[in-house]
Amino acid sequence: MMRICLLSLLFSLCAISPTPRPSPEPRFKLSPAHGIDFVLRNSPTPRKYLIETMPGGVALLDYNNDGLLDIFLVNAGHVADPLLSPVNFDRHDPSYWNRLYRQNKDGTFTDVTVQAGLQNAGDTNYGMGVAVGDYDNDGFPDIYVTNFGRNLLYHNNGDGTFTDVTTKAGVGAGGWSTSAGFFDYDNDGHLDLFVTRYLDWTPEKSKTCGRIAEPMYCPPGEFGPATSILYHNRGNGTFEDVSAASGISAKPGHGLGVAFSDYDGDGFTDIFVANDAIEQFLWHNNGNGTFTEVAFNSGAALSSTGKKLSGMGVVFQDYDNDGLPDLIVTQLPHEPYGVFHNDGKGSFSAQELESGIGALSGNSSGWGIGLEDFDNDGWKDVFIVQGHVFDNVHSYDSSLSYREPPLLALNRNGHFEKGEPGSNLPVVGRGAAFGDLNNDGWVDGVTTSLGERPQLYLNRGGKSHWIAITLRGNRSNRDGYGARVQVNGQVRFATASGSYLSSNDKRLHFGLGSMDTCGIEIRWPSGIRQELRGVKADKFMTIEESEQ
Amino acid sequence: MIIQAVLLVHFLLPAQIAASQSSPEAAKLLQSATDAENRGDLEQTIADLRKAVELTPWSAIVLLKLGDAYMRKQDYGEAIPPLKRAAVLSPGSLPAHRSLGYALLSQGYAMEAIPHLEIARESGALGIAQLQTDQPEEAVINLKNALAQNPDDPDLIYYLAKAAAALSSELNERLLAKFPQSARGHQALGQSYYSAKMFLEAEKEYEKAIALRPDLPGLHLELGEIYAASSRWTQAEEQFRSEAKAQPGSAEVAYRLGDALLQEGKMKEAAEELSRSDSLRPDMPETLYALGRALAISDPNAAERALDRVIAVEKQSPLAAQAHLLLAGAHRRQGKPELAARDMEEYKLIHNATSKPEP
Repeated sequence: MMRICLLSLLFSLCAISPTPRPSPEPRFKLSPAHGIDFVLRNSPTPRKYLIETMPGGVALLDYNNDGLLDIFLVNAGHVADPLLSPVNFDRHDPSYWNRLYRQNKDGTFTDVTVQAGLQNAGDTNYGMGVAVGDYDNDGFPDIYVTNFGRNLLYHNNGDGTFTDVTTKAGVGAGGWSTSAGFFDYDNDGHLDLFVTRYLDWTPEKSKTCGRIAEPMYCPPGEFGPATSILYHNRGNGTFEDVSAASGISAKPGHGLGVAFSDYDGDGFTDIFVANDAIEQFLWHNNGNGTFTEVAFNSGAALSSTGKKLSGMGVVFQDYDNDGLPDLIVTQLPHEPYGVFHNDGKGSFSAQELESGIGALSGNSSGWGIGLEDFDNDGWKDVFIVQGHVFDNVHSYDSSLSYREPPLLALNRNGHFEKGEPGSNLPVVGRGAAFGDLNNDGWVDGVTTSLGERPQLYLNRGGKSHWIAITLRGNRSNRDGYGARVQVNGQVRFATASGSYLSSNDKRLHFGLGSMDTCGIEIRWPSGIRQELRGVKADKFMTIEESEQ
Repeated sequence: MIIQAVLLVHFLLPAQIAASQSSPEAAKLLQSATDAENRGDLEQTIADLRKAVELTPWSAIVLLKLGDAYMRKQDYGEAIPPLKRAAVLSPGSLPAHRSLGYALLSQGYAMEAIPHLEIARESGALGIAQLQTDQPEEAVINLKNALAQNPDDPDLIYYLAKAAAALSSELNERLLAKFPQSARGHQALGQSYYSAKMFLEAEKEYEKAIALRPDLPGLHLELGEIYAASSRWTQAEEQFRSEAKAQPGSAEVAYRLGDALLQEGKMKEAAEELSRSDSLRPDMPETLYALGRALAISDPNAAERALDRVIAVEKQSPLAAQAHLLLAGAHRRQGKPELAARDMEEYKLIHNATSKPEP
């Protein structure tokens, strides 16, 4: 009798004790990047020139089509103290070069910058970001580099070398460019180019803010706004600046991040610009070569409390698997990162709290961001690289830090929970790009941080299934940018853009959980629809656009 | 702001005074420097003055002008050597000591700046230097004097507040040294740290106070507010829950707890707690707004009722604007675009009328 009582007592205790949740497994391993000796040299000065705290981008691309992702890193430059016009950032000095690292079969990297012809990005250019796209549909990815100064377009010659075609192409821009991206806004099969610009800033207009003995970088409101630029690809290797004709230049902002998606399903790619400390911009593509800025009335301009976000990086993909692309915007602390849920019919609702992102982000400064299914469970997770703008922020607010570890937020049925990234190394994070570096079916990340080498986050993997799709357009642009791809109910918009100053692996990765087959539906920018059924999981596949 | 004012005064130093102490060649250079200064060409001004200093290294005024030119360029490090020499050559020169004091202070040499700022009777900068060298009592006196002369200077207000907080902390530390078991002493010290935005230090003091007197009302609430200020919502929730146990009838505590739950994304629990706060003290606009926010997605009709009450109470305040913004979202989701547009218009009108110009 006594034994029964004891057993029943034990059972009842078991029943009421909460099931202990397993502590999250580290998702990534911070790995030494063998062969990569790049240091992001931003050259901070006591004068707090604003450019110093903003670089730099990273791109994951397979420049030689050997099936392995290579890494392109944008460097900044030497900032003289004082910085006088005409500016000279000493970019001829190899320590300030942008760098291209080719991945070898054993996972190490070789610096091929000189061999590729990508050295010396111009003494008058302070480096910022990078965009990747095959603008001439020759099957090799081209590289566009943004600068404070003149931007650069490098055509990939297909033989391991690049040629600077900026002048011929007419895409030099000027001013202070930040994030850029290739996309096909008019669905003519040629990738166009969008360039965000930050501020009307020059060394002469530079100011120092803060207090005596505690100077700090000035907020963007101290300088004039700048317009973004839209370049239309004529299809003959040249571009036309259609910023005015398209309506894009009608509304200047403080653009730092850019992402593309077709949020209203009308078949035309729309643009979201993450603006710093003003309303965010959502440029609706009217389908006739013009755009209308609709963020305010669509509900994507302000946080749920009406605050202006200090928008830095942005992703424009579907996080809750309802088939509609949502927005997540990184920003400065004391306000959560912005989450704009796409409610359909062209409207968004700010759901930074409902999504769980709010609770994970209120005291952090976010920059590069990826929305990828890192654990292959069929739900896209968030990885954000973090670090404050001000190197002396701690003296202003002891709860804030200049250097921060990254944030991994795991998606549990549309709600984000804190994950364990695998490294809590605090850095001054800026750029971030995501892709499957080692082709093991699990998405990895490369991040940049001021004054340091890049960080390689290699995914530890697991047992879930996955599929990775490379699109090959025919009537559509060859990269297939702008296609809507649905796999087992999950949707991705084909793009390499998003994040901050960076460019992702263009392959479309889908986690499949326990499913070992999948169905794939593609709506190409040309309007062609394509469907594949019973596709085996756990492989990389190329899908070529059908004739109709 | 303080430095700019000082420099304006210094640049009124007539070139003739400097010229009277110099050779004809140096006088030419001084005139050229003045012309360049008038054109706004600081580089040329400095180049001319450097040459003039080479010709007349004994001239305190020329050295002072060079130092001040560097300061106008915000090149405080370069300004220090000529200003130091000017102060040695002309120990009674208040402008030389004033500029040197500012240059040293701006480069972080607060202790070295103090004697020069004392000679120059620059009470504002002197107070800042004293604050930075752990002399809060003296800093408060000098900053108050400076503020009496410039009552709207935001820097002075900031530093006086910081000095007062530092002084308060020092006094509380003295109190605690004598009575280490005083929960109130730790609480007071925590409050001082909190007002100086020294959250980690404040947190430690509250933890000590709670360890000594866990039953003392307000301690958990205040510690929760510290966590909330640095967006550590889980810890804030824990403290507000403890306070709610101690003060179950407090509408404010229920609101704080509800708001922490809201920030954590626990919308259902937040709505329950905020409703409880509303029943304890109806028509608190912050509670109603938070309740509307908690219900905005799950129950738009209930959210609308709460937000309508915010607008009825607040009418034209920033919170009313925020309520219109939330209502617009609710109306969009309900497929009522006309109502959404009306609310966005209301939001814009109130927001524009109530928002302050950005600093």
